[in-house]
Amino acid sequence: MLKRTLVANRGEIACRILRACREAGIEGVAIYAENDSGTLFTELADIAVQLDGQGLAETYLNQEQILQIALDNGCDSVHPGFGFLSERADFAQAVMDSGLIWIGPSPEAITKMGDKMTARITMKEAGVPVIPGEEVTGGLEEVLQIAPSVGYPLLLKATAGGGGKGMRAVHRQEDLESEARAAMREAQNAFGDDRIYVERLLTGSRHIEIQVLADKYGKTIHLGERECSIQRRHQKVFEESPSVALDAELREAMGEAACDAARAVAYEGAGTVEFLVTPKGEFFFLEMNTRIQVEHPVTEMVTGVDLVREQLRIAGGQAMSCGPLNMRGHAIEVRLYAEDPSNNFLPAIGELKKFIAPTGPGVRLDTGVREGDAVTPDYDPMLAKLIVWAPSREEALQRMARALDEFVVLGCTTNVRFLRELCTNPDVVDGWTTTDMIDRLWPDGWTPDQAGKISDAGLLIASACESTNHGKTVTSSGGDTVIPSPFSTINRRYP
Amino acid sequence: MEFKTSNGRIEIDAIRDGDSFIHEGMILHTGEDLWLEIEGRKHKAVATKVGDVWWVHVMGHTLQFEVVEAGASSSDDEGGLTAPMPGKILEVHVNEGQSVRSGDILMVMEAMKMEHKIVASSGGKVESIHFKEGDQVPQGAELLTLSE
Repeated sequence: MLKRTLVANRGEIACRILRACREAGIEGVAIYAENDSGTLFTELADIAVQLDGQGLAETYLNQEQILQIALDNGCDSVHPGFGFLSERADFAQAVMDSGLIWIGPSPEAITKMGDKMTARITMKEAGVPVIPGEEVTGGLEEVLQIAPSVGYPLLLKATAGGGGKGMRAVHRQEDLESEARAAMREAQNAFGDDRIYVERLLTGSRHIEIQVLADKYGKTIHLGERECSIQRRHQKVFEESPSVALDAELREAMGEAACDAARAVAYEGAGTVEFLVTPKGEFFFLEMNTRIQVEHPVTEMVTGVDLVREQLRIAGGQAMSCGPLNMRGHAIEVRLYAEDPSNNFLPAIGELKKFIAPTGPGVRLDTGVREGDAVTPDYDPMLAKLIVWAPSREEALQRMARALDEFVVLGCTTNVRFLRELCTNPDVVDGWTTTDMIDRLWPDGWTPDQAGKISDAGLLIASACESTNHGKTVTSSGGDTVIPSPFSTINRRYP
Repeated sequence: MEFKTSNGRIEIDAIRDGDSFIHEGMILHTGEDLWLEIEGRKHKAVATKVGDVWWVHVMGHTLQFEVVEAGASSSDDEGGLTAPMPGKILEVHVNEGQSVRSGDILMVMEAMKMEHKIVASSGGKVESIHFKEGDQVPQGAELLTLSE
């Protein structure tokens, strides 16, 4: 059993983990950079410690400082969340060398899966199918030399990468050199490692991943799939489970392959095996993410398994509590980003002057922000994950559309309307989702469908608000004269 | 009253009736909450002002309207190429005096850990370049000036 866990992360995922700790009776320790002081996750922790320094390298990526805080505060374990140090084998090793429990797989498993080339080789040996491609060890010259044999369109990916950084699609030979330079530079900046590799870009295919869970007692299971095909700039925006592309047979085959992948590296804890699935129903291993994933809630909603709680349980030396796979209904997650979808999804900043999240049956919001917070360029632009569950896919889409209509974010541009339009897009409704669908549906970029009525209404509201100085007089005066709600005056009983 | 939007300037003359405003068959009731009546249905709206810009949420849409001071000229709609985000200049692809065509990449900047290309929206000549590689630029900064 764990007693006190340091959460080496921030924002939304730190909130998620700290809440799970609270539920499990584990004390949570948050670390935060100066520019995160006062944010939600620091309040959800039993102890919150400010990190010295500026910028990511000195704060959330500063292994020594984080480890020292864990030791100074009597922690027995470290949860890395996702991003940051979550897939750093050296950090996992350092945590273990300090006598603390690392909530995640072994450093050996992280190393084997974290390096895409080693992962490919390991998977080939384990009999898991991999994508045709060439592995590059010799820098730019070798990339240029190898590319023609892989064929176009091709994809350049950071060997150490993830999250779309250092990843470039190349459609023509003449773009290769500049794109390769950009990919290597982004890889160097994001991961401190500029190695890349070249693989064939499989167009029209789906990105489907399998959640796996393994404990110390030799039990390795899969928890079904997540369909993550809707992506922009190789970052996921819309994820769902189950996938319309999988029948029970393919699910079982992919689930078995995922469990084989996990067993091949003696995996422990929660992990995700990503596959590309072609229109013909072939599937290829893409990579394994050796951490909890952003989109884990959709699996939680359809399987009823609390994945973060299982991570804590497994790391504490207990057996997992899951029974046989039992998927029920349909769940969808969308990622609310501070970005402008009508301007090539460029990140946006601003103050969240209004942040009114939807509620109601089957609606879950995982976020680390709240009204009044400033969105800055310092961190990832993801503001929140909105997740819905409903008995069927059709109802889940309707519920998501309703929830997104209710979602008010003012002061910072977001992709909320883009997400809302996805819910009623015919291709999405038909389940015809592929990794290239955003480029396919909006080749010249997306613009909101604001028919005359909407812009006229907005204009009327803006002009009336300007005339009446709306919002200026609401606070302070008149607070005592609020008419009491009838529900608090009538002595009403509910059945 | 005049506003600037992403689609240009737009004027409105709503009829005021007490706390209500009427325009194009729509009625907006103001007060602590905003209620829009349209085609026999009511919709709650939320609005807040940031600087000179009214942010409006209504019927699942978010819109922005910048208040234009009466008598202001429209010259501020034109101008150079500005930084869409605070960030860092990674590459400068052009020299002063160079001719460029529409679609040419002028600069590459990094913001939010992603690279963004600054592209010429029309052809012209590079009159001046205001930043060099490695410079940090604030949001809205004019990066370079093109002449027609």
